[in-house]
Amino acid sequence: MNPELTSILLRLAGLICVGLVVANFVAAPRLGYAKNLAGAETLIRQIFYVHCGYIVMLIAGLAIVCLGWPKLFLADGMAKAVSGFFAVFWASRVVVQLTYYDREYRRRERFWDIFFLIVFASLALIFGAAFFTGQ
Amino acid sequence: MKELLNYGLLFAGFGLFILTIASFWIPRVLNWKEKLGDLSPLMRELFWTYAAYILASHCFFAILSFGFRDWLLGGTPAAAAISGFICFWWTVRVYLQFFGFDLAEVEDTLFNRLAKHLLTLLFLYLMIIFAILVWWNLGGAG
Repeated sequence: MNPELTSILLRLAGLICVGLVVANFVAAPRLGYAKNLAGAETLIRQIFYVHCGYIVMLIAGLAIVCLGWPKLFLADGMAKAVSGFFAVFWASRVVVQLTYYDREYRRRERFWDIFFLIVFASLALIFGAAFFTGQ
Repeated sequence: MKELLNYGLLFAGFGLFILTIASFWIPRVLNWKEKLGDLSPLMRELFWTYAAYILASHCFFAILSFGFRDWLLGGTPAAAAISGFICFWWTVRVYLQFFGFDLAEVEDTLFNRLAKHLLTLLFLYLMIIFAILVWWNLGGAG
């Protein structure tokens, strides 16, 4: 694929990642994190929130690089490793959603289920394209 | 100095690899399966999914530290940025280790105490080595 086109797609991926960071903050009240975790042990609650925080941090870091320096993903062997990692990261997120997440909940929230499947699949394709476009 | 940092990164990769392997014991030691039993199915699934992605990130950091040492020591802004991100990741983890987690509910055994201290040392080491890498990549060594 044309490196210029891949750069544009990577900037788009950056915007999508910004959206995902915002979505994580919306998800907490919408999915009732606090209420659901109220009965759990303190350490379990803390681990959950820490993991959420790290995921947000990772996606935010990815968004910054995609928006500011998309060509870094196309530069050299290291770039190939990073874009390959994120292609697998997002592709596996599609698989997790399709095979692991609660089917009943997905059925109730069908619009968001399909919306996020498309989002994750798009990110997997963009980073896959960067992987194959990189040097 | 570069040679020393090369060995430092190799050791960091080894530490991260051990952490990745040891992480498979954490759910058992902390009895996650039973303690997550009261959560809704979706929350349980989110918990395991997030944990798996964090594990995958640590595994990827191990791969970078083992396989891309020359790149991480290349003195480029990109290498400084990646090192900075990983340094920030472990700095947050060190803060949480000392001030964030309430470990009162963890059984006080010799094994658990030893594991906690070893993890603290590893997190401190990773924070420091990647901080030095940021300095190196920004031309700190001249």
